[in-house]
Amino acid sequence: MSSSLVRVLLHRAAVARVTLAPHQTLRKTSALSRCGSVLHRQIRGINTFTLPLRTEEKVTINFVNRDGKKISVTALTGNSILDVVVDQNLDFDGFGACEGTLACSTCHVILEEDVYKKLGSISDEEMDMLDLAYGLTDTSRLGCQVCLRKDLEGMLLRVPETVADARVDSQQESST
Amino acid sequence: MALHDTFLHLGRKNLLQHTYKQIFMQTRGLHKTTASGSVDITHSPADLKDDTAKASEEVLDVANAKNLKDMPGPSTVSNLLEFFYRDGFSRIHEIQMEHSQKYGKIFKSRFGPQFVVSIADRDMVAHVLRAEGVAPQRGNMESWKEYRDLRGRSTGLISAEGEEWLKMRSVLRQLIMRPRDVAVFAPDVNPVVEDLVKRIKTMRSLQPDGQTVENINDLFFKYAMEGVATILYEARLGCLEEDIPKMSQEYIEALHLMFSSFKTTMYAGAIPKWLRPIIPKPWEEFCSSWDGLFKFSQIHVDKKLSEVKRKMERGEEIKGGLLTHMLVTREMSVEDIYANMTEMLLAGVDTTSFTLSWSAYLLARHPMVQQQIFEEVERVLGGRVPTGEDVANLPLIRGLVKETLSRLFPVLPGNGRVTQDDLIVGGYFIPKGTQLALCHYSTSMDEENFPSAEEFRPERWLRKDSTDRVDNFGSIPFGYGIRSCIGRRIAELEMYLALTQLLQKFHIKVSPDATDVRAKTHGLLCPGAPINLRFVDRD
Ligand code: HEM
Ligand code: FES
Repeated sequence: MSSSLVRVLLHRAAVARVTLAPHQTLRKTSALSRCGSVLHRQIRGINTFTLPLRTEEKVTINFVNRDGKKISVTALTGNSILDVVVDQNLDFDGFGACEGTLACSTCHVILEEDVYKKLGSISDEEMDMLDLAYGLTDTSRLGCQVCLRKDLEGMLLRVPETVADARVDSQQESST
Repeated sequence: MALHDTFLHLGRKNLLQHTYKQIFMQTRGLHKTTASGSVDITHSPADLKDDTAKASEEVLDVANAKNLKDMPGPSTVSNLLEFFYRDGFSRIHEIQMEHSQKYGKIFKSRFGPQFVVSIADRDMVAHVLRAEGVAPQRGNMESWKEYRDLRGRSTGLISAEGEEWLKMRSVLRQLIMRPRDVAVFAPDVNPVVEDLVKRIKTMRSLQPDGQTVENINDLFFKYAMEGVATILYEARLGCLEEDIPKMSQEYIEALHLMFSSFKTTMYAGAIPKWLRPIIPKPWEEFCSSWDGLFKFSQIHVDKKLSEVKRKMERGEEIKGGLLTHMLVTREMSVEDIYANMTEMLLAGVDTTSFTLSWSAYLLARHPMVQQQIFEEVERVLGGRVPTGEDVANLPLIRGLVKETLSRLFPVLPGNGRVTQDDLIVGGYFIPKGTQLALCHYSTSMDEENFPSAEEFRPERWLRKDSTDRVDNFGSIPFGYGIRSCIGRRIAELEMYLALTQLLQKFHIKVSPDATDVRAKTHGLLCPGAPINLRFVDRD
């Protein structure tokens, strides 16, 4: 499936509470970046559009997958890490199960310390979900909450193992 | 071919979630499950042994796991006595604790035909929930489904399973699960809070002391209903008015019937169909309360639908909230919208109101804590009405709700899962299709998870910084993962806004003749007696 189709579908899903004239299509919103989509919504007729339209720029980011393999991808600013994983069809088993709605913590990624610091504050809701992530570290974030910016060029993200990967070990443990 | 269709279908809906390969594998898994009927969760002891034996042949690395046969637990007879004779249903939360102390953190029991493995350990709960597949199943929803088939209704999120569930869930979570998407409803909820405050003032003026409000839950019930309806239906119901409109009153009665007949409706599911002619009442009550609930949401949805249609015909611009959006985009059929609105309203009222009641009760009994939270509210808002965004700056208000709901009074003291795969938990081999009970009440009261577990300490939830962690699988009042509570953020918003404003306006105090109110389980963990509180003006 082409990534542009994916994009349209994603937008379809992400655009809630928009104002719809009968002839309008949801496709119109696809020019907007996905992080902070709420800001682009019109609620009860009140336009809460507060962000100027940013031009999207390319950044390269590097994943290290669960087998330790490095995967470099080019992505657009304004997308979340989860968007990138989906768009690029990166095969991380079970990643992003709740589609970025802060209900699952399966989009857990581990960052380098300087990048972690650079990203700044984390919402309480994200921290609550992070608490439930498997293999949590001090520089863990949820991929669906991290938005790509130009200054993250070259960032390195480790995708930690999941409980499924660890299952064999814990089985051995629990049976001894 | 059919498989391929499903694949494409799921694939489109669910791209965000999974890569091609995964979907393919999981869809296959899903089909296998349904086709082989292994979601059937009642096992006779003989079946169970058989299944276990079969499965362990297949899965080699489970050779060392213990057999369910050897799992401790109360005998069937003592369990029957406990529940039916000694009314264990109202003490499920206490029995959960007793049993986990007696039999360990994983034990088995049998409720009539239903075999259940209970898990009262934080790490085991985490293990089960993290291993979930694409469409987790909570429990046997046969009676709900039967009613819906009987009346030609759709299933909503609570009662749907498998692909059907996933399709609706994918639509709804994009609308009401992200905290920032829900924060925009604050301007709709705040006027409801204002009405709550007014109502408190009216109610207390009717009392000799001019301060007491009796049975505070009654008021919070109306608040919760009004609050969730403003968001779901984009309509006010008038529950907090002096004279409640007839339609809303009828709905309240249907909800009460559903709730009060909870035990009977549990039997409605448990009583085999052939017995219904002899014991017809539970099933009849079950159906008639559902009739009431469906009717109410249908009226509201239809009203909005004709409004939308009218505007479309005239070529007018359509502006609106959640329901409007759903009716315009039609990502779900109108029948599915009826069903989901019905089930969400059902799930969203008692849960929220009990939590508010317990929070207010705890605040009244802990004036020092109340003062501390009040000071935070004053510091941040200085008397201003809170917005959705302010909540981020009120960590103690969030702590208050967590301490109430996550720890002391988890409205759902336990949750269920039917295993979709063979699992090893706590060293036991648990075959696919087993009903698990996750004992959240026990884990939230476990000293290992929460030191001084009996104490009310909202500040235990404050973080020093963003790397300050609490491993809180010990308390997941909204569940965890893709089948967790879809209304979580809505409920949180309603509770944060109400509690903040109540603290701004009133000293909440115990009434002089107040006694301890204990919790009892009635499906949900609810106050065992009316909670009477005094609301004393701050200024
Ligand atoms: C304090 C308030 C609430 C609590 C404690 C609560 C708790 C829960 C829990 C524990 C579950 C089961 C989750 C799981 O199995 O993992 C659940 C499911 C659900 N809740 Fe809530 N809930 C609350 C409020 C609401 C509200 C306001 C709504 C509606 C807007 C709602 C709608 C639902 C629905 C539809 C489900 C089924 C979800 C599914 O199966 O996909 N709840 N809730
Ligand atoms: S995708 Fe579920 S929390 Fe990020």
